[in-house]
Order: sequence, then structure tokens, then C-alpha cells
Amino acid sequence: MKYFIAALGILTVFWPGKTALVEAKELPGDLPAFSSASATVRKLPYVYTEWKHFTVKNGLPNDHVFALKADGPKVWVGTENGLACIDKRTGKIKSWGEKDGLPWRVISALDINTKTGELWIGLLGGGLARFSGGRFDHWHQLNSGLVNDVVYGIAIENDNVWVATTAGASRYNTLTGEWTIYTEKNAPMEEIWNYGASYDAGKVYLAIWGSGVLEFDVATENWKHYLDPDGEMEIDLYRDDGIVHVITTGISHIDGILWVATYFGMSRYDGRYWRGMYAHETGLPSDFGNAIKGRSANEGWFATDKGLGVLADFPSDTWVTYTMDPKTHRGKAIVSRNQKVLESIDMPKGIPHNYTLWVEFDGNDTWVGTSKGIGWAIGSGYYKGLKDRPVHEAGDVRTKAIE
Amino acid sequence: MRNFLYVILIITVAASSLWASEDRRRHPVYVGAKVCATCHQGKDMGHQFSRWLSSKHATAYAVLANPESKKIAELSGIPQEPQESPMCLGCHATGAHDEEWEKDLTFFTEDGVQCEKCHGPGSEYMDAEVMMDRQAAVKQGLIIPTVQDCMGCHQVKGSHVAIHKLPKLDMTKALKEIAHPTPKNWKYGTMPGLPEVPISQKDQPGYTGVLACAACHKGPGMGYQFSKWRMSGHARAYAVLATDKAYAIAKKEGIRQSPQTSPACLKCHSTAFHQPAGRALDSYSLYEGVGCEACHGAGSNYQSEAIMRDPRAAKAAGLKDVNREVCMRCHENAHNKPFDYEKAVKKIAHPIIQPEVSQEPRYKTPLNMAISPDGKELYVTCEASHTVIVVNVQKRQKVAEIPVGHHPTDITFSPDGDKAYVSNRLDDTVSVIDVSSRKVIAVIPVGDEPHGLLADASGKHLYVLNTSADSISVIDTTTLKELKRLSASRSPWSLSPSPDGSLIYVTNSLSRFVKFRMPSTSEVTVIDTNRAVVEDRIVIPAANLLQGIDWHPGGKFALITLNRTKNLVPMTRLLQGWTITNGLGIVWKDGRVDQVLLDEPNMSFPDPADLAITPDGRLALVTSSGSNRIAVVDVPKLISMLEAASPHERRKVFPNHLGKPTEFVIKHIPVEHSPRGVLITPDGKTAFAANALDDSLTVIDLDKLQAVGTVDLGGPEVITKVRFGERVFHSANITFHRQFSCHSCHPDGHVDGLTYDIEPDGIGISPVDNRTLRGILDTAPFKWEGTNPSLQRQCGPRLAVFFTRIQPFTPEELSALENYICTIPRPPNRYRPLGAELTDAQRRGKKVFERTMTNDGRLIPKQNRCVTCHFPPLYTDRLRHDIGTKQQFDRGSVFDTPHLNNIYDSAPYLHNGIAQTLEEIWTRYNPDDKHSVTNDMTKDQLNDLIEYIKTL
Repeated sequence: MKYFIAALGILTVFWPGKTALVEAKELPGDLPAFSSASATVRKLPYVYTEWKHFTVKNGLPNDHVFALKADGPKVWVGTENGLACIDKRTGKIKSWGEKDGLPWRVISALDINTKTGELWIGLLGGGLARFSGGRFDHWHQLNSGLVNDVVYGIAIENDNVWVATTAGASRYNTLTGEWTIYTEKNAPMEEIWNYGASYDAGKVYLAIWGSGVLEFDVATENWKHYLDPDGEMEIDLYRDDGIVHVITTGISHIDGILWVATYFGMSRYDGRYWRGMYAHETGLPSDFGNAIKGRSANEGWFATDKGLGVLADFPSDTWVTYTMDPKTHRGKAIVSRNQKVLESIDMPKGIPHNYTLWVEFDGNDTWVGTSKGIGWAIGSGYYKGLKDRPVHEAGDVRTKAIE
Repeated sequence: MRNFLYVILIITVAASSLWASEDRRRHPVYVGAKVCATCHQGKDMGHQFSRWLSSKHATAYAVLANPESKKIAELSGIPQEPQESPMCLGCHATGAHDEEWEKDLTFFTEDGVQCEKCHGPGSEYMDAEVMMDRQAAVKQGLIIPTVQDCMGCHQVKGSHVAIHKLPKLDMTKALKEIAHPTPKNWKYGTMPGLPEVPISQKDQPGYTGVLACAACHKGPGMGYQFSKWRMSGHARAYAVLATDKAYAIAKKEGIRQSPQTSPACLKCHSTAFHQPAGRALDSYSLYEGVGCEACHGAGSNYQSEAIMRDPRAAKAAGLKDVNREVCMRCHENAHNKPFDYEKAVKKIAHPIIQPEVSQEPRYKTPLNMAISPDGKELYVTCEASHTVIVVNVQKRQKVAEIPVGHHPTDITFSPDGDKAYVSNRLDDTVSVIDVSSRKVIAVIPVGDEPHGLLADASGKHLYVLNTSADSISVIDTTTLKELKRLSASRSPWSLSPSPDGSLIYVTNSLSRFVKFRMPSTSEVTVIDTNRAVVEDRIVIPAANLLQGIDWHPGGKFALITLNRTKNLVPMTRLLQGWTITNGLGIVWKDGRVDQVLLDEPNMSFPDPADLAITPDGRLALVTSSGSNRIAVVDVPKLISMLEAASPHERRKVFPNHLGKPTEFVIKHIPVEHSPRGVLITPDGKTAFAANALDDSLTVIDLDKLQAVGTVDLGGPEVITKVRFGERVFHSANITFHRQFSCHSCHPDGHVDGLTYDIEPDGIGISPVDNRTLRGILDTAPFKWEGTNPSLQRQCGPRLAVFFTRIQPFTPEELSALENYICTIPRPPNRYRPLGAELTDAQRRGKKVFERTMTNDGRLIPKQNRCVTCHFPPLYTDRLRHDIGTKQQFDRGSVFDTPHLNNIYDSAPYLHNGIAQTLEEIWTRYNPDDKHSVTNDMTKDQLNDLIEYIKTL
């Protein structure tokens, strides 16, 4: 793997990315700046500057946070050693471990059936659980039709629960109890290691490690397969011809846009055009994507191993990159467009750790799961896209953290 | 050239192997008896087809039209017409459990038990070449049946014995009767020719064949006309020509050829030779003997329904009246046999309208009630009559009866009183009654076996408890559509709103699944009505059968009825008391739970079914369906007693304390048979109890605390044997200290989901899963160890020795009880409605169920295939087998093969209930492939298998 990454690095360095850069510059996003009496005003995206952290010190059962799910005043947290629930109103954390009935300690995915209010829990090595009214129900490969207990992703589709596992995907019909398994036998899965599942607008999307993205049309039960058309594992031979790589790790669909995370860059697909995104030419802190969450057609959040990359405004290619200084533990947000830094904001607190694993939206707020707890980004005055606003200056008083 | 030949050779080999593999994939279909007959007829083939045609197998379908068959069905709890019941057709027809696409156009269910029932669907082996080679034919699916295969249908069936009084089948004799050996120097038969039709006749109507007539002339609506013909000598008229007697007569008449090919014989033994006709359609066959058209004329011109519905048109198209002359043409002096025309006509009479058969009295069986918001009318669900009876509260009189769905169980009014909603447990629906017109205006499909239901305070949502699906349907009362289904615990039963309407508490009759040999853990499910979601699940430890519920008007707690079943210690300790105790749960709004008993020393309170609290919160009335009483609880005394006690007493002492009820139960009011629902009028002055097995309501004056009257719901006065048996089943009189009834462990004839330790062989030895009584009649032997050959033995001596510990039932009671148990109906299968095709997954699962080879091509020995021991229609061979499930505490290793019908609704599984799901039977408890070969199966194959098993 390391040779592969090294080769990829070499290729990246020598890759003729000029064209892409030139094209990016021609996007309408390269907008003029003007000065007001007190500060330079530019068309800029919203930047989260108010952060609160939750770690084991606050009551999380474990700092390795693999999944988050907002549910009204509550935020559910899946960690490497238990389930937790943060009450936003009080900041209090309640947690459940195996002694409390949680069937397995490692939680890899969470989703909520908004109709019934039930929390569905993916258990890495333990199958699937449902938490309802304080009761855990447990399905695994011995007591149910679940294809495998190593679960990476969950998606609620109508009355069905989709479970992405290391040996294929399972669909559980909660009304009839029927389990359907999707593997290479009945779906265009070249590999069966399902990493992520997502449901939106009548379609289920599966991110498959080595098999790109599969789209399942619920009405017709037909599959559509998204691969990297150039078929190259080491290089992205043709730009924007499909997803950047078949080793996909996260998937999100919103407003007709498919957002994809891979270990080798990210992709966005609008139904006609693909756009590949790499760290060396965007605000992505790394090409190693752990998760992706689309907030709208133009805003996508990428959790990577080196920080959080936010494509804040797709038309103008404006990014916000959130990182944490490992020495000072202070937060940093850099706004960039076409590789040009427009703004650099130093914050007492930002993301809790640069190894980010999950993103969840909660109204104007955003929750980020990392390998060192959760970052709650409070979105007071959040706005979509770009807005004329003064550029933050170093030591700006508005950058504060909530203790 | 040589290379070219090699290429050709390779192509040929490849093509043939491809062909072979294609061939292997072909699915056999039923082709019908007539296709077999093309070869298996004639003297050179031992007249095999005619032998079958003359056998009882050929009339197996037709006999289901007999009144006796209906009686058997009724006795077996089969709610359908026997000719439409998969259970009956499973043994009385061929391919009853197969799909339509698995039957060729030449196949007819009406042929009853034909060749393919025993020899397997014939499409793949029927080829004459293949059939020449027995091995090749077997490879292609020909089954050579064994006696064991015959026993699948011919084992003694209690239902059949009860009606037909037949002795056990003498298999040797039976096999002799149906023997159809192939002669040593056999030669395939040839199709008998039809008579030549002169050119002058060609424009005349043609013969369509009897099955064309049968398309309409069958079933109760048409007086089972086809079946009547099929059971008559006319239908065997051709077949009898194959008998020695026919040959002898022919010889005497100077006929040298086979009678079946002799026009002289066929003139009266077949339709086509009887009267000249224009032609014979493909649907016509000589084998039918003297069919409808022999007497009524060739039918091609009058057979259409439109013409047949107009007698004049039918006559004009050739339909003939039958009179003496028609019959006498053949029967006069036939073979010197005397012929009594009047008698013969009576014998073959086939009127459309059937003589009325006296029906069993139809009882009402009132279960639950709801009172209209204005307090004027009481609506009562009557399970047995499938109606809701309206009672005028003031006059205490029945004023109307509204037909609803099957097995109406519970009822509730909309807050404005305009509508009443009724759960129909057998139909999986809710009937919506328009109160002003007293008519059902809509039917809403819900989940399996809906029981309790309730409209919330706003009237926006209707909550329906799907008892057999462990779920709660939330219905939008405007659109009458199901919005969502919430997860309950097991067997949600009744529900009650908190006084402020913000919460609904739901009782769940069965305990949650618990670890093996752990006490029950039951649940009260709490619904937040604002969001219509489950808010909480309150655990009720060591209790089960949570059923009745009512909130106290103070809003601090709800009361529930419950049992505390000590299933982990031998039932025989009943003699020391305290085996199944019955009581109340106090479920506090903050989630705390208290439990108290309603049993007193020497006087238990069996089967507490429902409760109601007076509007002032002072009294709670609790019905005991097992002892025909109502307990009156002084609620303030009960609460004071609890509040004065220590936490230890409340947690450990009171739940089991037989001495405590006297402190808060202030009276027991006797009522009639098996009181279920109880209701208190809004003014708090009167209570009504629904006496399920008396078809009446008892009226209770709450000031005097005594019964002051009865409302007769109009049930029959006569008490049939079955009804008497039903009363015996629901009465606790048979148990020591009246602790429990049959109903306590088999609520409504089903299961309580527990594993019991029964015999005094040590604590925990031989634990057995409780099995359903639904459709149990023909599944003898009984008991997991299969040692009780009959229900009479199971419910008689065995029950007395191990369960009730007092004198056994009297012979009269026992016989009635057996009769009642047999009639407990099995609900229609939810995974495959009658006549429905299988889903793709079910179809794949069926293949797995019937497979003979493992995935890697190994032959699965016949005795180790699913279908060998679990074959239709009961899916049990009724024998005992060692399937490798013996556990540490089991005495033996062989267990009775359970039937699989509706297996999905009676978890847990295996003899000791150790498998909580169907999957676990094979993923956990079949390590050595002794319970069929399953360990080679992939996960998706196992899923498919389970999807299929759920359809049985």
C-alpha cells in the first residue's frame, strides 16, 4: 500500500494539473474584493469559529468517534467503546455500554428512522442493533439474515434498513422481517466490502471498497454502477470521467448531487458531470477521505485523516479547511479559492483532532467526529454559499471558543 | 482436416455439456394424468391408467365436496371450503402447494391424487425414451415412492377418524388395491382412436370434455356438480373396460379386441362413441367415460357462460334435456343387469341447490366493549359471530348487530363518537363503523392479528396493536392509511391513554425473549402521543401475560393484569401452590413498577383478563376468566399498602405474597362463563362484564357491588359439545386451587412463548417449549417426546399427573375439550395468501427446502432432507427423530417432528425453545448437519429457505 501511495505522490507532483487550475480560475468564484472603512470585504463563505469539544473528560465512553446522528435536541454518538447521547440543552452526556444492554461495544454507524424515532446502530463486528424506548434489539449473522457482522454503514430507506457490511449489503424489511442480501451474485458488486450506505430521493447508494458506488432504485429495484472509467488504480488518467477511484469510503446524496469520498481524492456528480477533487489543488487537507456529508448541492464536507475539508461553495470552488495545530491544539480555518488563501483564521478551538471520521449537520450547527472526541461547531449566523463580509484579521475578537 | 475435426469435436463436446448443464437447470412441471396415460394404458401396460382411474385416488378431490369433508374441515379448524383449502388439497390433490407456472395446461387439480402425486412432476422424465431406462428416469425426477411416502397422507388423522370412523389403514391391503404392476413383456400403449366423423356430421357441435364443464360446474355455488359426476360410475365407465370382468363380457359378446378399443363397448362406456358429434376438441378425452356431454349433448356450441346463463339459448345451441329415454339407451338390459331408472336418477342427481345441512349453532362470544362518548350505547365485539352488538345502556338491551370482519376482538370510539373502530383478528384489518348508520364504511389493512386499538385524544391517530407481528400500527384517521408501524414487545395486547392524553401505555402479553432458563421479562410499551413514537419501555420482571390495563384518573399510575408463571421449576409443585400466580402490576408514571397478587391461599384468581378503574379512582374491577369472577380492588387501600411498605417488601415480598390481597380486594362478584372485557360507565355507577362463553353481559351496580342483571346478546341456548369443551378449556376448575386453566398457557389456543419444566425429574430437567394448539388435530403424537398418541391422553391422564394435580376431566369433559381444541383455527398464512405466487426469494427457498444435492454436488441422503420429514400439507412426518439438539438437561435425544404451518408465529423453536429465531435453528443448533444438511449453505440460501418456510 505504501508503494502505491508513494507512486501516487510522485505522479501527483508531476501531473499536469495546470489546465485544471486555469479552469478553476475562470470560475465565477474568483470574485473581486473591496474595502470598507474598517476592513477588506470579500465574498466569503461562512466559517465556524465557535467550537465546543466533547471527550471522555465530558463523559463520552470513548474518544474514537465513528458516527454521529442529530435527533432534535439530542445528538447520538457512536464510539469505539459504546453509545452516547449528548443533550444539547444541558450539555450532559448519557452513555450505554455492553453492561447496559448495548449488544456490542464498537459502533460504526448510526441512523434514525424519522417516522418511528428508532435509532439504528451499526456494530463493527457485532451486527445491527435498534435502540427504541430504552431497549436494544440485536440482529446478527447467527440470529437473523444479516449477511455479516462487520458493519460499516447504515441507511434507513422507507421501512427498510440497509446495512453495509464487509461481505455485502443487507436490506431488512422491518414490516415483514425479510432479509435480502446483495453481493456479487445479484448486484454489480465487483468487490463486496461495503463501506457506506446512504438513502435519498428513492435511491440507495452504497460505497464499496474496490467497486465504486452502487445506486439502487427502490421503485424499479435496478442497479446503476459508478466506477472510475479509466480503470487505473494508481492514477486518475482522465480528469472528471467518473469517480476518482473505486476504493470508495463514503457516500452522500443531496439535492440531486452525489458526493463521494475515496482514499485517493473526492468526487462530486451532478447527474451529468463529474468533478474530481484532490488535496493538491483544492482546500482538501488530504486525499484520504474517511467520510463525506453533503449539506446541499454546493456544499460538501469531507472528513479526512489530516483535517476537515469543506467545499463551501461549489460554483466558485471556495473551500474552508479546518485543522488543529498539534502543538498548541488551537484551531485553524483557512478559506481558499483556486489554491489562493483568502482568509486564515486562528481560533482557540477548532476540530478536536485532525483525524476526522464523521460529519453530521444539525440545523446551522455541525458535529465532527474525530479520533479525539467530538467537535460541535456552532453555526450562529450560518449562511449558505458566499456573502460579502469583512475578512477576518489575525486576532479578530469574534473568534472565540465556548468553554 | 484433422485440425478441423478436432475443432468440430471440441465444439460438439462444449455444446453438449452446455446443453447438459442447461438441462439440469430445467424445473420439472406437472403434466397431468392424461399425459401419463398416453403410454401407460392398454393391456400391454397392465391397464395402469385405468387402474388409477378406478381407484379412490382419482376421486380424492371430488370427495372433498361431501358433507363429511366439510365436517372434517370444521373439526380441524379449517375455515375454507375443503376444495379450496391447501391443507385438504395437500392430500386430496396433486401439486397443491406448487405454483400455477409449475403446472402444464394438461394438468388438472380435479384429477385428485394422480400419478405425479407419488411419482413427482413428470415433465422431465415423461419422455418415452427416458422412461425406458429406470435410472435415467429417476435422474430426471421420477420418484419411486416408498410406504413412508404414502404415510405422509395416510397416517391416522383424528379428524377423519372422528367423522368416518374408519380403522387404521391396512397398508398392505391398500397397496394391493392400488397396485399397477408393469407386465413383464410390457409395451407402451397407444392412444385409443376416436370414432370417425362422417363429412355430413362435421358441422355439428363437438365434444369439449368434462373438464370444460367443470370450469363452472363445481364448488358449493353449483352444487359441486363436477365432483358428483366424478364420484359416479359414469366417470369410471371407460376404466372398467380394463377389468377382467369387462374382458369376460366382451368375450361372451364375441368381441375379440380389448373392450377399451371396441366401438361396441365404447358406445355405452364413453361419450364420443355414444352419440356422433361434429368433432372432439383437444380438451376432450375418451378416458372420462360417460361425461356430461353423453347425456347433455356435445357442448362446443353451448359451453360459453353467456349462453349457459340463458336456458333458451343453451337449448338452441344443443344443450339437451335428459329423460328416461336417454338413460335407457344404454342401461336397458345392459349385460342383463336390472336397472331401476328412478333409483339410478336419484343416485346421479346433481342439482345446483343443495339440500340444507343443519349448521352448528353460531355463538356470539363477546370479548371487549366500548361505550359511546355520550354514554348511551355499548358496542360489544363478538368473536364467534363476527359482529359488533349494540346495547342500549339505559335499557340494558341489545338493539342492533353489525357484521364486521372475522374474529372482531376489540373496539374503540373516535373522540367525537361518530365512528367506531373494530380490530378483526383473523382478517388483519380494522373495520370502521359509521355510528349513525351502524354500517361498516371502510376496512383498513393492518398487521398480523390486530387486538387492542385506541384513538388518541385528538382523534388524529388510531393505534392498533398487531398481536402476532409485535408491532403497533399508527393510522391516520383522516385518510385511513397506516402512517407507520412502531415496534412493540411480544404480542401487544391492550392499551390505555393517560388522563392528560400525552401517553399511551401498551401491555404485551408475552415475555421478551430471555436467555435459556431465565425468568420472564415483560414490557409495558409507552407511546408519546404528540410524536406518535415509543418513548419508553417499562420492564415488568418475572411476569408474563400482561393483558388488561387502565390508567388511574389521578394520572400517577396505571394498573395492569399479569401472571407470574414459575416455568423454571417443575409444574408438579402445583400441589404446594404457587406455580402460576395471578395478579396486578402498578406501573407508575416515572417508570417504577410494583406487583401484587390477586390469588389468595386456596383461592386463586386465574387468568386475570381485563380491568377498569372507576372515574373517581376508588375502585378497580378485574375479571378472572378462569374462575368467572370479578375482583373489586380498593385502589386507595392498595396504594396505601404499597406506600407503607419497605422497598424490599415491594420488590421481593409483595409480588409473591398470597396473604396481601385480602388487604385491598374488598369483594369478589360472581359472573357468567369466562368474563373477558370489563367496562365502567362514565358516571361511575355501572359496570359491564363481557361473559365470553355465555353470550351475555353481566351488569354490576357499583354502589351495591353486586350483579344486578344480565344483557342477553342473543346467542343460541343450546350448548354444543364444542362449546362445552371451550368452557372446559377456559375454566380453572380442573387445577389444584384453581390456579390456572388450559387458556393460561395457551392464551386463545396459541402459545405463551415459555419453556416449561414439567415433570418431577429434578429442577430444569427436560425443559420443553410450549407448542401452539392451532390446527393441532392431525399432528399426533403429542408432547415433544412424542409419547402421547392422542389429545385425549395428553389432556387426560397426563394433564392430571403433571399439570392439574387433582382428579382428571370426566370422560364427557375430556371428549368435549378434545373437540374444542381441534376446532381452534389456524389463521391464514401471512406470507403466502391463498393462491398467491411465491416471491422470488420464497421460490428459491422452496428449491433449497426440496434439494437433494449439496452446493458442492454431494447427494443428501433422503432421510436428511428438509422435505422428507416436513412434507405437505402438515409438514411433519409425525415421527420422532434425533436431529442433534439434545442438550445437557434432556433425558432423550429423539423428539417429535413439529408441523411447520404458520411456524413464524410461534417462536421460540426446537424442543426446548432454545432457538429464538428460525435462523438459529441452523446457525447455532445444527453443527453436525443432523437437522438436514445445511452447513454448506450460503447465507442468502438460508435467508431464502426461511422465507419459504414462513409460507407453509
